[in-house]
Amino acid sequence: MRFDRRYIFLAIAVAVAVPMLFPIGLPVAVTDETRQVYDRIENLAPGDVVMFSFDHEASSLPEVRPLAEAVLTHCFRRGVKVIGLALFAEGAAVGYDILKDVGEREDKTYGEDYLYLGYRPQYSAAILGMGESIAEVFPADYDQTPYEELPLGQRVKSYADIELVVSVADGSLPTYWVEYAQARYGQRIVAALTAVMVTAYNPYLEAGQLDGILGGLKGAAEYEKLLGQPAAGTRGMDAQSLAHLTIAILIILGNIIAFARWRRGKSGKEGDA
Amino acid sequence: MRTRLPVIICGVFGVFMAAQYFITAEPVTAMYRAVLDWMQIIFVCALLVGILNVILRQLKSAARPGPDRVYAGIALFGIALMVVLGFGWGIGRGSAFLWVFNNVQAPMQTTVFSLLAFYVASAAYRGFRARHFESALLIAAALIILLGRVPIGEMISSHVPAVVSWVLNVPAVAAKRAILIGIGLGMTATAIKVIAGLERAYLGSRTR
Repeated sequence: MRFDRRYIFLAIAVAVAVPMLFPIGLPVAVTDETRQVYDRIENLAPGDVVMFSFDHEASSLPEVRPLAEAVLTHCFRRGVKVIGLALFAEGAAVGYDILKDVGEREDKTYGEDYLYLGYRPQYSAAILGMGESIAEVFPADYDQTPYEELPLGQRVKSYADIELVVSVADGSLPTYWVEYAQARYGQRIVAALTAVMVTAYNPYLEAGQLDGILGGLKGAAEYEKLLGQPAAGTRGMDAQSLAHLTIAILIILGNIIAFARWRRGKSGKEGDA
Repeated sequence: MRTRLPVIICGVFGVFMAAQYFITAEPVTAMYRAVLDWMQIIFVCALLVGILNVILRQLKSAARPGPDRVYAGIALFGIALMVVLGFGWGIGRGSAFLWVFNNVQAPMQTTVFSLLAFYVASAAYRGFRARHFESALLIAAALIILLGRVPIGEMISSHVPAVVSWVLNVPAVAAKRAILIGIGLGMTATAIKVIAGLERAYLGSRTR
């Protein structure tokens, strides 16, 4: 039996689109990994500084934006100051937009409560350079205001003044944060990752080189639950659940068909004999 | 000289960057900061070469008759548009540059990326076959992770998330850690060979 793969595409499209249009509201249980990140932010004192690095491309935006928004919202509600930057060129505009959106929603003042530095090329040099002096790596912010003229910029000189770095990433950038900022300057780091990258960073978490990992849309949904504010992550969970279920059914179906073919072939040969 | 000079520069700076990690004297720190600045300057120059290369290739494609002509034209138009919008009206909030990025580039990229879901589903149906014990084990692990990483797993059984957590934190971490140690040793060996001038592939094929 030949199965037209367009039916598979249709099944996935239905599994993703229907829950988006008609939410089911599947319950989300919070995992220890997400609670670890939540507690790390919760234990920061008002006035502490967290650096958000938007280390991803626009293609992964639907997955990383809910993650970044959830953690940023938590930081602002705790009274934590935020410095944003991007080590991927595409992350520059994305990060600016997210930071401004959440900052304005939480009624925070640019320059005092948060600021955005924009993009710097050559991430290893940029990460190492900020350990010496942030103003040398970023002489001005994204809007071209000199870094040291901004109230937050006057306070934060290097990693010594930063409590935590959150790398919002879809690739290998958290590795560089660990290798250069954590190993050399002892900077504490949390990685907010696309789900597919989580396994790659578990060894760093186990070794204590990362303070926490927040993974994928599920991580965002769990964080939103802890915040008591369902948003994009929670909305995406129904679609992701049904898409995963569809793929699981397809795998089982594929094996049943293959097994039936194998049985038919075997009985055919026995009949011939 | 074309080979010797880059090898000497690489060797000297390689030794310096390794040594400065252990030396806190001010002249060494100042030199280290200068090296970090130069790393960024060199990278920006490489970036400019890359941009020029893309433009030249697209211009060549646009000049040649054929179906690629249209795509090359669109690419060149896109590059020119973003440069004009960025330099002309800025890149801040409410700018045309940011509007095009958020409403054209980002949706296009996410659309292409989301096509993966369809191909992954099709490939999973056709490729995941329990032909022997090992592949059956792989399928079982895949099914548990697939369902356990979403709320449906919790609805099937409260043990599913615990099993997923064990798979991700024990066997997967063990395998990943072994790979990372291998990569680390390989990188160290390659770095030593580059500093010593034994590895010259980075100089290009004509200088090997």
